[in-house]
Amino acid sequence: MRSNSSPAKTRPTPWDALVVAAVVLLGALTALLFYGPKAHADAPLTCVVSVGGQVADAAPLASFSGEHTYSHNGYTLTVFVHDGQVEVLHSDCPGQDCVRSGAISRAGQSLVCLPAQVVIHLEGAVDGPDVIVG
Amino acid sequence: MKRALSLAAALALVLSLTACGAPKKAETSLFAMDTYMTLVAYGDGADEALTESARAINELEQLLSRTREDSDVWRINHGGGKVSSETVQLLARALAFSDETGGAFDITVAPLVDLWAINSDHPHVPSQAEIDALLPLVGSEHVSFGARESAAPGSYDVAYVDEGCAIDLGGIAKGYASDAVKEIFAAHGVKSGTVSLGGNVYVCGMRPDGKPWNVAVQDPQGDGYACILSLSDTFVVTSGGYQRFFTAEDGTVYQHIIDPATGAPARSDLLSVTVICPDGTRADAYSTALYVMGEEAAVGFWRLQQDDPFEAVLITADGRLVCTPGLTDHFTKQEGASYEIQFLSR
Ligand SMILES: [Zn+2]
Repeated sequence: MRSNSSPAKTRPTPWDALVVAAVVLLGALTALLFYGPKAHADAPLTCVVSVGGQVADAAPLASFSGEHTYSHNGYTLTVFVHDGQVEVLHSDCPGQDCVRSGAISRAGQSLVCLPAQVVIHLEGAVDGPDVIVG
Repeated sequence: MKRALSLAAALALVLSLTACGAPKKAETSLFAMDTYMTLVAYGDGADEALTESARAINELEQLLSRTREDSDVWRINHGGGKVSSETVQLLARALAFSDETGGAFDITVAPLVDLWAINSDHPHVPSQAEIDALLPLVGSEHVSFGARESAAPGSYDVAYVDEGCAIDLGGIAKGYASDAVKEIFAAHGVKSGTVSLGGNVYVCGMRPDGKPWNVAVQDPQGDGYACILSLSDTFVVTSGGYQRFFTAEDGTVYQHIIDPATGAPARSDLLSVTVICPDGTRADAYSTALYVMGEEAAVGFWRLQQDDPFEAVLITADGRLVCTPGLTDHFTKQEGASYEIQFLSR
């Protein structure tokens, strides 16, 4: 390749325009990947129910309304989803911690029944805390 | 040629940024130590770190459980016998915390915990006579160590309690387990992660995006959060009566934390205590102790620990959220929580 290339060759061609467009597009894509909203940012809460360590249900909270029953370790829980919140309506577990925990409605919150090994977890919102203590 | 190179370079840039933007995430959860635990770790060693952490937690449960008949604690409570060096270590720390906190934290309160049975299916409100009969069994002086001939010089490998006494390490075992997880994470090069062992949280390093972790403190009076703390490389433990309680037939609410001094559920003017410090075992013991002490004594205790300081959030029954000054730059008020925020002065 010669350094003193002719002026005609340095003039932009349609190919150059294509390269510029591609670079701009890739740049924009990169920016979107890193600074743009995460894919699930505006997605509603997802209610994930695991029973004995296995996911039994995972559904958008809004379309999961009503009563759901889960049985494990000889105990049965009735979970009630309504108005954007989840609660354990009744359970035949000893202690009744899961029932007493009340309702949850925010990303990151969980309801746990230790005897039945049932965990109800809400995930999804972008601004939820990383971890909850208490 | 140049054009092709430019395209390749742009593509490579995108790919490399994508690759370094997301360290590998691993997650696990388990039921152990009477609670539900979730562990998250980032980085190349994350999977191994979590597997080993779960194994360590299960092993600690085998040593420290009060109900397993093959545990060290069972042996101590049933005539005494050989115990592991870990159990001896943890017992010694528990007795030291009891001493430091003037008995507000005390592992020998177990007979009274059993009498009330608040965490069980059949809670019971005992008579004062029943309580008075058991109170003399509470106190560090009832725990003793011994050594068999095979024990290393100067070390103990036997522990026992006086007749009728019993210990329960439930108020400290999860904290001890979280300290063990911290060491396992470090050994596997994990520099970012969160560990939640029931009310015991450990935040390892920073989040993968380089920011501190947002730790939400549960609102003891609602389903939301009382505040958010931005933290890294520390332990956060909450104790509160709201976590477990029972309501008697006459409507009286009895919460689950027994005051070793009275032998009855602590009548604390606090709803919850959150302790933040770089020692998980200490944070666990202190959170219970400060709750039992109540606001005034808890603040006094905090002031006395200036050479080895810790941070705390006290939520009072009269609607205040009292923070130690070290949390000023880590604290975010939570919308919806109506507590009056107060920062202590040094
Ligand atoms: Zn339950």
